[in-house]
Parts: sequence; C-alpha cells; structure tokens
Amino acid sequence: MIRAFKTLVFRDTKLAIRVGGGAGMAVFFFLTVTAIVPLGIGPNLKLLGNIAPGMLWVALLLSALLTLDRLFQADFEDGSLDLLMTGAMPLELVAAAKALSHWLTTGLPLVVAAPLLGLLLNLDTAAFGPLVLAMLIGTPALSFLGAIGAALTVSVRRGGLLASLLVIPFYIPVLIFGVGAAGGGGVSAVPGAGGQSLLLLGAVALVSLVLGPVAAAAALRANLR
Amino acid sequence: MTRKQRRAGFIALGLGIIGIAIGLVLYAMRDNIVFFYSPTEVVEKGIGPGTRFRLGGLVEKGSVEHTGAATIKFVVTDLMKSVTVSYTGIVPDLFREGQGVVAEGAIGPDGIFVADSVLAKHDEKYMPPEVAKALKKSGRWEEGQMNQDEGKGTAQ
Amino acid sequence: MAGMSELTASQRFQAFANPARFMALSDRLLPFCVVVTALLLAAGLYLSLFDSPADYQQGETVRIMYIHVPSAWLAMFGYMVMAGSSAVALVFRHPLADIAAKSAAPIGAAFTFLALVTGSLWGRPMWGTWWVWDARLTSMLILFFLYLGYMALWATIEEPVRAGRAAAVLALVGSINVPIIHYSVVWWNTLHQPASVFRIGGPAIATSMLMPLLIMALGFTLFFVTLLLLRMRTEILRRRVRVLRLARTGR
Repeated sequence: MIRAFKTLVFRDTKLAIRVGGGAGMAVFFFLTVTAIVPLGIGPNLKLLGNIAPGMLWVALLLSALLTLDRLFQADFEDGSLDLLMTGAMPLELVAAAKALSHWLTTGLPLVVAAPLLGLLLNLDTAAFGPLVLAMLIGTPALSFLGAIGAALTVSVRRGGLLASLLVIPFYIPVLIFGVGAAGGGGVSAVPGAGGQSLLLLGAVALVSLVLGPVAAAAALRANLR
Repeated sequence: MTRKQRRAGFIALGLGIIGIAIGLVLYAMRDNIVFFYSPTEVVEKGIGPGTRFRLGGLVEKGSVEHTGAATIKFVVTDLMKSVTVSYTGIVPDLFREGQGVVAEGAIGPDGIFVADSVLAKHDEKYMPPEVAKALKKSGRWEEGQMNQDEGKGTAQ
Repeated sequence: MAGMSELTASQRFQAFANPARFMALSDRLLPFCVVVTALLLAAGLYLSLFDSPADYQQGETVRIMYIHVPSAWLAMFGYMVMAGSSAVALVFRHPLADIAAKSAAPIGAAFTFLALVTGSLWGRPMWGTWWVWDARLTSMLILFFLYLGYMALWATIEEPVRAGRAAAVLALVGSINVPIIHYSVVWWNTLHQPASVFRIGGPAIATSMLMPLLIMALGFTLFFVTLLLLRMRTEILRRRVRVLRLARTGR
C-alpha cells in the first residue's frame, strides 16, 4: 500500500517535471504577476514593502489555481484514472498522492521563489523568515483543497476556470491566516498576532489534509460512475 | 492486514489529524481573534508608536472636545485602561459619548492615537427610547451604556 | 435521472413514484403557502415599518433590521436545506433530495445577496462605512461565493445525475462555513454586533420590536418554502420533458 502510494507520487512528480506546462510554468507565472504589481502601484517603495506579504500570497494563490487542472485531467483523458479507481489502493489515497505530488511540483518551488520575489517588492528583511514559514505551512492546504475543485470539474472540458471559482472560497482562510502569519495585513503587526495566525493556518492545513482527499475521492466517484 | 482493519486505520488517522487541528485552534483561541484591540490589550501587549492597528472601546463620557475645524479629541476606554484619540474627519451618526467605537490608525510619538478612520460599533440591544429611559430610572442600566438624553448631539 | 436507459421498468416506476406523490402534495399545499406568506409579509411589513417604535440609539434606521435579519437567517437556512438535501441525495440516492438541493440554491443566494445589500445600507449611517472586512461580513460573502459556485457547477455539468452528485459533494464541504458565520461574532471581536435574538440570557431586544421581527422571519421562511416548492415542481417537470425528449430521439 505504502509502496503503491510512493510509486504514484514519483510517477506524477516525474510527469509534472518532464512534461511542458508543469512546475516551471507556475513559477514563471508567479514571477510575472509579482513583476507587474510594482508597475501597477507606481513609485512608492514604502507602500510596496507594506503590501508585499499580501501581494506575494495573492500571486501564489493564482499560480496554484492555474495548475489545478493538471491534477486529474490528463489521467482522466487517457483512461489511467479509471485504472486507478479499480485498483486496490483506496481512491482517497490516490487523491492524496496526487495532491502531494502537486505540492512537490508547484507549492514547494513557489515557496522557494517567494523570498527572491520579496526582494523585488521591497519586503522588509525581517519578514522573510515568517513569510517562508507561513507559505511552507499554507501551500499544502492549497494543493489538498485544490484537489477537491479539480476532482469536481474533472469531466468538464476546460474546467480550469470553474475549478478556480469553486476553490477560491476555501482558499480565503488560508490567505487570511497566511498573510497574518507573514506579518502583513495591517492589524497583525501587533506583537503576538502572527503566532496566533500561524497556529490557525496550521489547523486549516491539517483539516485540508483530511478533507481534501476524502472530498476529492467522493467527487471523482460522482463524476466517473 | 484485512481491508476492514486498513479502513479503520485510515479513519483513525484522519480523526487524529482533525483532533490535532482542533487542539491548535483551541490553543490559538486563548487570545481573542481580533478585529480590534481594547485599551487594556494595547497596554499589555506594549504596542508602540508607529504600529498600525484598530483600537476599540467606549467613548468616555465628557471626553469629546473639538480641537480644530473638523478635528476632535476623545478618550477610548474599556473601563479599566484608556487611550486618547485624535481624529480629523466626519464621525458616523452613532458616534456618541458612552457608545462603542473602532478607530484605525497608529499611536503617535506623543502617546496620542492618531486615527484616520472612526467607525461606530453598536451593541446587540434594541429598545424604544421610553424603555431605555424607564430602565435607567429604575437603576437597571448596565455600566457602559450610560448616555442617551445627554449624549445625543453633544458628540457632533 | 438521465441514466434512465440502464434502469429496468420497475426501477423507473420507483424513481417516478416519489416525485409524482410530491407533485400531488405540493399542488394542494402551494395555494395555502401563498396566502399565508402574503398575509404574514403584509402584517410584518405594517408592524415593522409603521407600528413598531424607533430605537433609542439608532432612531428610524433600525427598521432595516426587519429585512436584514430575516434575510441573513434565510441565507443560512437555505444553505442548511441545500447541504441537508445533498447529504440525503448522496447517501440514499433519493431523487427528490437532489431536486430540493438544486432548487434551494438560487433562493438562498438571493437572500444572501439581500442580507449583504441591506447590511451595507445599514452600515453606512450607523458604523460610518459601507463595508468592512470583519469576520461576520467576510464569512457571509464566502457563503455567497459558495452558492454561486454550486450553481455554476450545476450549470456546467450537463448530465443531471453526475452534476447532482458533484454539486452535493461541494455543498457538503462548504457547510463548514455555516457554523463559522454563526459563531464569527463570538470567536472574533467584530464590528458587527453579537446576536440579539438567539443568545444566552434571552433576547436583548424589546418585545415591541421582537414581535414584528419574528413575524417577518416567519413570513420570509414561508416565502422561502413557497419558492422552493415552486422551483422543485418546475425542476421535476423540466426533467420529465428531458426524459420524454430523450425517449423520442432514442426511437
């Protein structure tokens, strides 16, 4: 069982890295979105530094949303999803493996790129640590919650936009607590508030680890049977 | 391992993770999650000058003074500690002495909270004016709700 | 119900039996619902707009409450109806539950929109702002998004059985938001005031204002039920037409 899980994670990760339009594209998109923010705001470095954590989180969210259709779509089209469904591994575990490899190929590279982009946005150096920590905890939630949206729209052709619309309400808590833990969002610059947000972000991430695969499996069954 | 055992294992794992999440939430909830901070919290947390936050509390009775054309100065209190606030602009209808307010801004170097927006917070109590008057006469009026006759108008 | 072709004749009969009974029952129930809704709303509007007193703090503006509060309740009630029916549809495969969930969504979305708009109109004079990102307002906006997403999913997946099940999963996952909305004013210290009616220690609202509010709430609820029955009837008829069309083209 564990070996099957590992095999699936490896397979999906390799596919995402080798096939075009995978991991690299998300990071590139993250970079371009972040690059247009200072141009839209104009020359105000102080303002830019203040909104940097929030902007990075929003750009991260958008990049994650764009890659959601990769989760199940290709396997649905070439029939391998049907095979996985009839296999011995529970569908919940299949969904978890796919979400995990999505995080490895999308969430993790985005987190690595974030500090670099923080420099472009004049982010305060003291804020880099909390930002990366918050993103490390928050990005798995994006992948696992995103799996629900991807599974719901798997049978819809060009379902990417719909998946984004369905998933955004569930991303809102991640964004709120993520920005709070990263030291942005105005109010939370108060001492102690960041730690509280980080705890709540951790709770959201843990719940999504369970809820995501279960709901995604239910959605896949609804769509394929 | 049989199928049934495996299934039970997964369910237990899931419930365990949810349990940890609930623990984290409860731990985080020791402090109120805040939209605004009360004057006591401002003092306790040692929020210094320059940090932007929202300050919430009651406008202390008799503390509102007009210092400029559209500038007012008032004291926000939670009946334990208080913070002086200065604000330039138009205040909402419900801004009255003894009523709740939420002010957004930062503490200046002189210790005065300079607000750039002031919102009025109202409580969950609804009653006709006669009832409020009768309650006050009979002395069953709760602390912090003390204006109405005299409070009306003086704030503007 | 589009998988009809695979079903045997008796199964098909069973699938239709309940909707058929529902059609007969709702046909008798609807006129009654319409009359009671009209009476309650007329009485409630008169009581709340003319007969009830002004508030000691807010003055006449408090009358927005008689629309705002019932709308907000119905917004959450609508979601609970939707999520509850979705659960029944997923577990028991009851065709009516599926239809009820689908029919409840637009009505609930409309009440959510009404609650957001009236709240905004009320917040401007009282708080001094149209909108503020506190927990109650934000979670209510998320509820609106959830309704829209649910409706979009129904609209996108063509086959009703598939769409129904996928939408049911979405509705159930989204139901986490309902307790968050309710307790948001307790867990967070929000600008929005705490609950006035359902609170520990009894309502914090004078009887002369509570009565019109409760009558309005009852009227709104019956309005919801009436609309739900109507929409469910329409949906059943729409599906019958669809099946008939499919049968004709299949021949």
